[in-house]
Amino acid sequence: MACIPGMGETVMVMKLLKKESENELLVERIMYTKHYRLVLQKNWCIGCEICGIVCPREAIETVKPVKVEGENLNPPSITVDENKCSFCGICTAICPFGAFTLTVNGENVIPVVEKESFPKVIHDITVDETKCPVDCIECQDACPFELIKVSADKTTGTVKVEVDEEHCPGCRLCEVKCPYNAVTVRKIVSGFIKINTDKCPEGCRDCVDVCPIPGVLNVSDDGKVEVDDFCCIYCGVCRIVCPVEEAIQLDRSSVLHTPVRSGAWNKALEKLTSTKGVTKELRSKLTAKVRETVRRRVG
Amino acid sequence: MSQGPRIGVFVCHCGLNIAGVVDVEAVTEYARTLPDVVYAVHNRYTCSDPGQEEIRKAIKEHNLNRVVVAACSPRMHEFTFRRTVSEAGLNPYLFEMANIREHCSWCHPSTPEAATEKAKDIVKMAVAKARLLGPLEPIEVPVTNKALVLGGGIAGINAALDLAEMGFKVYMVEKKESIGGHMAQLDKTFPTLDCSICIEGPKMVDVSRHPNIEIFSFTDVLSVEGFVGNFKVKLRKNARYVIEENCTGCGECRDVCPIEYPNEWDMNMGVRKAISVPFDQAVPLIYRINKDYCIECYKCVDACGDRQAIDFSREPEEVELEVGTIIVTTGYDIYLPEEGNVYGYGKYSNVITSLEFERLILAAGPTGGHVIRASDGKRPKVVAFIQCVGSRDINKYPYCSGFCCMYTLKHAIQLKEHYGQDVEVYIFYMDVRSNFKGYEEFYMRAREMGVNFVRGRVSRILEVPENKNLIIRAEDTLLGEPIELEAEMVVLATAAKACDDAAEVSRILNITRGTDGFFMESHPKLKPIDTPVDGIFLAGACQGPKDIPYSVSQGSGAAARAATILSKPSVKIEPIVSVVDPEKCRNTRVKCGICARKCPYGAIRAEPGKPAEVIAAMCHGCGTCVAECPADAITQMHFTDAQVFAQIEAALENNPEDKIMGFCCNWCSYAGADLAGTSRFEYPPNLRVVRVMCSGRVDRDFVLEAFRKGAGMVLIGACHLPYDCHYIDGNWKMKARMEALAKMLEKLGLTPDRFRVEYISAAEGVKFAEVIRDMAAKMKEIGKERIKAENAKLKPFIDRMFARKGR
Repeated sequence: MACIPGMGETVMVMKLLKKESENELLVERIMYTKHYRLVLQKNWCIGCEICGIVCPREAIETVKPVKVEGENLNPPSITVDENKCSFCGICTAICPFGAFTLTVNGENVIPVVEKESFPKVIHDITVDETKCPVDCIECQDACPFELIKVSADKTTGTVKVEVDEEHCPGCRLCEVKCPYNAVTVRKIVSGFIKINTDKCPEGCRDCVDVCPIPGVLNVSDDGKVEVDDFCCIYCGVCRIVCPVEEAIQLDRSSVLHTPVRSGAWNKALEKLTSTKGVTKELRSKLTAKVRETVRRRVG
Repeated sequence: MSQGPRIGVFVCHCGLNIAGVVDVEAVTEYARTLPDVVYAVHNRYTCSDPGQEEIRKAIKEHNLNRVVVAACSPRMHEFTFRRTVSEAGLNPYLFEMANIREHCSWCHPSTPEAATEKAKDIVKMAVAKARLLGPLEPIEVPVTNKALVLGGGIAGINAALDLAEMGFKVYMVEKKESIGGHMAQLDKTFPTLDCSICIEGPKMVDVSRHPNIEIFSFTDVLSVEGFVGNFKVKLRKNARYVIEENCTGCGECRDVCPIEYPNEWDMNMGVRKAISVPFDQAVPLIYRINKDYCIECYKCVDACGDRQAIDFSREPEEVELEVGTIIVTTGYDIYLPEEGNVYGYGKYSNVITSLEFERLILAAGPTGGHVIRASDGKRPKVVAFIQCVGSRDINKYPYCSGFCCMYTLKHAIQLKEHYGQDVEVYIFYMDVRSNFKGYEEFYMRAREMGVNFVRGRVSRILEVPENKNLIIRAEDTLLGEPIELEAEMVVLATAAKACDDAAEVSRILNITRGTDGFFMESHPKLKPIDTPVDGIFLAGACQGPKDIPYSVSQGSGAAARAATILSKPSVKIEPIVSVVDPEKCRNTRVKCGICARKCPYGAIRAEPGKPAEVIAAMCHGCGTCVAECPADAITQMHFTDAQVFAQIEAALENNPEDKIMGFCCNWCSYAGADLAGTSRFEYPPNLRVVRVMCSGRVDRDFVLEAFRKGAGMVLIGACHLPYDCHYIDGNWKMKARMEALAKMLEKLGLTPDRFRVEYISAAEGVKFAEVIRDMAAKMKEIGKERIKAENAKLKPFIDRMFARKGR
């Protein structure tokens, strides 16, 4: 039994539940005729801040990991407040790792996407399999999330590369590692990252520990942290765990998403990037619209 | 008046109500011995026609110029007798009442001798005051002939429509988004089974279309000031983020909205969109965005298009209204059993409340009218209804909620009608209360249809984990043995309770609530619609649980009562206002203005160098300024210092150290004392009460005078802090004043127990009796000797103080 904000104390919700297991975080709203389930699959979640930033009801919080001396730092974790969640599905739509699923009465739905009031992020990985030699599995080995499966038919010499796009954050490691230029990946989030090593505490490598993409953050020979931002997905986990303020500068500039015109998206984008990011996107949309109109008129 | 006072005393038997305890002949005999009493007589019923005629005759024959009636409480019949004396040509304010029924015979039945002595004292006090009474003329104020109806349920709808039909402008204020109240949530209505919204819907539309009615929905009342005929009401229209004038109610915005949240209207069983109306027949049909849930995607703005009805920048808007009367129809709330209840509500998914069942069986409800279980969506084959959940329960709500028996019968009949032999229905009841027209027949119909009635209270409900069925354990009191029943669904008839914001409404309007939390009427039988505040009326379930016909009649009744004020160009208000003596006022010499600061109504103007001045029409007659004035320059008409001093002197003439001198405010503790009498709570007869309008009127000098005259104990009875005071905050002013005085008295050697301030509401008869019993016991414990010694020690101090003041 719980109360809903903005309502009297006298009406009860059938049930608001939160269950947490090793693999899952489950938040439920069970009503007489409707059953809402929001599931966070922990194996996909890297504990970044993206869902927390865009959640319109501020129901998602990132919990900083506890540091244990002598061990590598664990990534942060996500918690959802069942009393605040309105099951809109924005987190499900935005998560670059596809870690959230939302079901209503057992069916997978994302209400905001269905009603076109929020976009989905685009996972775009294309593999030109014709370029692939039969014995190469570089991309499969390169993927830090084990999303790529390469299978080859030795008799015909054809290669099949299956990519689980839904959970791919678009780090481009496979693209980098491919010796035959067969893979093209579009980044989901573009941006800028810089580490002000002057501010780094002596010997701290927390950010390196938690970074989900191998090779983005490295400790150089002089003991300082270096960034190779070609593969960075700008998830911001490094900044969450960084013990020093402003040591890590991370700005997102754009997000690759399905076309949609919505105030909620503009707001989310502004929070994720900056006012500049939104203005840029709006302007480009406007240009596209102008182009579209001109094309229609000219024929 | 050239002639000295000629007082007539009329002692009432009130059948045996007074005469059964008090020796009325002795009291009459005693009255004749009092100074200026020229005529005294006793009568079986003074308030009856012959009784009143006797007064009129005596006034003429004996040339009386003051009348004292010793009978019931002035809160009951003061007005009646004032009219009687004025009919005989006497100014109505030359009348005084001695309360020897509620304050004497009814609360001292086992000590008739002491009661008679007390009655004599009460008459003596009244005569003492009567000697000093002066004629007063009522103040006439104009009436704003508009009404405010607070609450848009079925009672409010009827009150508003009736008043509007009479030609008065009516403002209807509703807290929720739509008018209609609980009735609009119901499916069918007993005993005729007609569809609730089909009969209420047209009335709701009538309200919205009536040229004389203006609806303020989704609106809160912030404050109410003023008095009968001249109330000033401040409202806050909450922001819907939809422009009312532009919204056509088409619902296109709702269709595109992605966000759903639980619908309170459906008892949270169904959902509504972040932009929506609570139900399709809502009046006014204006959509609302709930910003708690809205993600501001602006899809609704696109859908609304050229109508441009959506405006996210809307702010709550404050509105001020002027009205002559207020009808309160704020209704009730449904009790929901709290966690850990024996019925398993909230824990077991197939245990629901009756109002939830109502939404289930309603065709427009979340399940489309199918009665299904929450656990598996299947139709239950065995349904058990449990009565008196919370009601008739001394641990929860001791009263009977009135309509639960009938609606449960209705639900049972509906189930039988829908599913026939396919459903077994059990009703666990304590008593089936089916009075009123057609109700008993309805009960018989349920019995004939094969509904099983089990008389007995349920002790526990347990869930079968496999199939989520429910095991009900109860005692069948007719068979005298415990029984166990497995039901597939349990419906709880939970209590109707005072609505959650009743406390807030009571504070804003200054109307009292009973111990059950519902608003209190002026008189349980004769003024069931009036409140103690002139011009404010009650209708419907805000006064106590009521079914639809009862609420409808009360709504119309309240409209008629309100019309008695609205139909006149002016209304007379009591001239018990304060008057400043410009000669005595210090404000001419020093910067004082205390009275202006202390007046709760801002009715006093104190400009530098000029004597303070009371604006009579704004003065509510609490008398706080009188008690606060350091120069004793202010007099409250009809409650003058001299009159109260005379009452104190009369009360304490004999054996003062045995007596408790009480000063009780008219609205709360005096009414509480009345209730103690009406309820026949017995307490020791030591108390002598002086009635003041507000505890703020109780001057420090009254307390000092009482002790100077040798009182054993002094009690000040006030309304509860913080908000109950009828005059906003007179009780707070009294508290500050008396806390300082208590410290001083203690320093002067007074046992602290001898001076008490108690906060007793009009509903707390029990508490009043307890306080007096406790004080009497303490007084005995302290002992006469010590009281006398302490008083003797105090007297020179008080004498000196009074001498300085020239008392």
